[in-house]
Amino acid sequence: MGELPFKLSRPLTLGIELELQIVNTRDYNLTRGASDLLGALAKSGNPGDIKPEITESMIEMSSSVHTGHATLLAELRAMRAAIASAARKLNVGIAGGGAHPFQKWNDRRIYDTGRFRHLARLYGYLAKQFTVFGQHIHVGCADGDEAVYLTHMFSRYVPHFIALSASSPFHQGEDTSFDSSRLSAVNAFPLSGTMPLARSWREFESYFSKMRGFGIVQSMKDFYWDIRPKPEYGTIEIRVCDTPLSVDRAAALAAYAQSLARYLRLERPRAVCDDLYLIYNTNRFQACRYGLDADLIDPFDGSRAKLCQDLVATFPRVAAHAEDLGCRPLVQGLLMGAQGSGNDARRLRARFKETQSYADVVRWQCEQWMQPP
Amino acid sequence: MPDLFFLPVAPLPPNQIIWFGVLLLAGVIGGEVARRVLFLPRITGYAVAGLALGPEGFALIDKTLLHELRAFADISIGIILFELGHRIDLRWLKRSPRLVLTSLAECALGAGLVYFTLRHFFALDILHASAAAAIAVATSPAVVMRITADLGAEGQVTERALLLTALNCSIAVLALTALIPWLHLEYRGGWQTILLHPMYLLAGSFALGLAASAATLALLRWLGKREEMQVALLIALILATIGAAIALKLSVLLALLAYGALIRNLDRHYRLAAPDFGLTGQIFFLILFVLAGASLDLHAAWTGIVIGASLAAVRFAGKAVGILAFVPGDGMRMRQGLLLALALTPMSGLAVIMLQDTQSMFPEFGRTLASVVLPAVVLLEIAGPVLTQFALKFAGEVRPEPAAKD
Repeated sequence: MGELPFKLSRPLTLGIELELQIVNTRDYNLTRGASDLLGALAKSGNPGDIKPEITESMIEMSSSVHTGHATLLAELRAMRAAIASAARKLNVGIAGGGAHPFQKWNDRRIYDTGRFRHLARLYGYLAKQFTVFGQHIHVGCADGDEAVYLTHMFSRYVPHFIALSASSPFHQGEDTSFDSSRLSAVNAFPLSGTMPLARSWREFESYFSKMRGFGIVQSMKDFYWDIRPKPEYGTIEIRVCDTPLSVDRAAALAAYAQSLARYLRLERPRAVCDDLYLIYNTNRFQACRYGLDADLIDPFDGSRAKLCQDLVATFPRVAAHAEDLGCRPLVQGLLMGAQGSGNDARRLRARFKETQSYADVVRWQCEQWMQPP
Repeated sequence: MPDLFFLPVAPLPPNQIIWFGVLLLAGVIGGEVARRVLFLPRITGYAVAGLALGPEGFALIDKTLLHELRAFADISIGIILFELGHRIDLRWLKRSPRLVLTSLAECALGAGLVYFTLRHFFALDILHASAAAAIAVATSPAVVMRITADLGAEGQVTERALLLTALNCSIAVLALTALIPWLHLEYRGGWQTILLHPMYLLAGSFALGLAASAATLALLRWLGKREEMQVALLIALILATIGAAIALKLSVLLALLAYGALIRNLDRHYRLAAPDFGLTGQIFFLILFVLAGASLDLHAAWTGIVIGASLAAVRFAGKAVGILAFVPGDGMRMRQGLLLALALTPMSGLAVIMLQDTQSMFPEFGRTLASVVLPAVVLLEIAGPVLTQFALKFAGEVRPEPAAKD
């Protein structure tokens, strides 16, 4: 057994985490509400796994492990109902979206636990600037080698997930011109970026023990990579998504990740190559900046396409796998319909154009996420 | 004409504006001293500075000047009550009926205990005890709003303290208005006065608030969402409403509370951004607390220390029991309930205005009523802000001090 044992899990099982915004219902700024909300939820029985995050204006909900999209969505909806009901009792709003449109980063309060206080001391203002809200998708892998392969292969599709989930066009009271401004906040951290080009779990373990030897990291938690293997769960974790405006969209993104993972692990369409990450950051920037209209370069053959065309081109490859997983119509709608229906960033911009008020935008975000009781 | 006619001639002519400026300056300095040296709330410093310069202190400010400055206090309390009314979110109350029960219990038990204490231990008659109990229902809105803003407090204790204050102020003013027929009966008013006076006050003030909200909404429809314009518009309309209430002999308190509450709940298209008076707002609080401090009657407070302390104590006990009774099942912890009750302790400007209003209608009754209520007001004017600050800090809801370098 190596340095970093990879827990066995059923391949292609699925789980997600969503970081959510807590706002007041007067001016819709972020508010200090996590501990009150968790207290109220604890009293209302067992709504599932809901945890504090680094600031008091954020909570994180985590699904349990699912084999398919349908049960995942059902669980997310039940958790949403519990959270929304507690929030209504406390008169706070819960919203999706990758960033709050107008909060001032320096107003944030660090949630009072040892780990969060440590991070706040270590990272200084970065910790408070990191008040952004993401969706993490876990996909189960058969073993460590498969996790390494999938992590590398998924990097080709990272722009898809960025563009489809993008919901942080506004930041600190300005239109950033980005569809996802959230990922720029991640870039500032020293351990952000991508996994090094290890080809097997054994190679990865030796990298990890070197880093641990330097005293930089203690566990996988300390890497803020876009995609990282999560040996203690036996999964890979895709971390580039903004929290979508609804749990339904979050579940649809998870279904796409699952279909893609099935396609990659069963068909093994490409081998990991040395040039895999050459244009990674360019593609990633394009997706953050232009969303569905980004210009993508394929790392394997150098071909160029608009991101939304690439989505359409990807669907035939994953369609059969989505079919087998029972989520074909959903994935089809997500990929083929992207150009027409747009992403959440586009919807948020339309909302702002109509109302000219960020407070109104956030109120609408709360309505989208909480749904009528 | 002498050549140097443009120079001032001694003795200098009296000029109230100078003294008003000096009074405010003392308030600013007093507030900073309180905060930096004594770790007390700023507003306690404002009030003490006012007290020091006022008739009870060095008498730089005399009663005439205080009377002339009353307009500023009226404007300040008007703006504060508007903001308070805007805190009443009917949708929240509809979703959480327990909150309504908490408010009613808190008001009823506080008032009940005050009434009982005054009747049985201080042998007061029914009318005086009832009026004093009604006034004791209200928490000082200015204190709670200023302290929460100064400390950047956010959370359930803060939100509920503001909401319960808005509700108990409304209930106190309504209860006192409801006592008017009995007072007329006692002081031999005709049946027309008995019936029509309270009705005129209630319906008239409410109608004025409604008219002001309707006018605001109509103007906002045209003005749009530019926030700096909205604040200017609001201050203009609030001043007009205060002036109209005074001219029409209506209740400034009721009219402005109704204005704030109605505009929040009638604004279906969310045209009004949450009012943020910012720095302008702060100066009104400064004026209000300095003037309130200058008008404090320490002598009366000292002679009434026993009644004042008992009133303050049983009022707190009543409010605490009322709140704690409904905390379970409302998503709050008991500890938070207790801190919430503590945060509701302050009594100040609003109580004084209710006393003054009563006194202007029934001079003799008002004077004795004041001797009963004022000692508690003086006590809680000084102690209340400290208690509220303590409650919010202990609840963990205040903005953390900028961390020292480590």
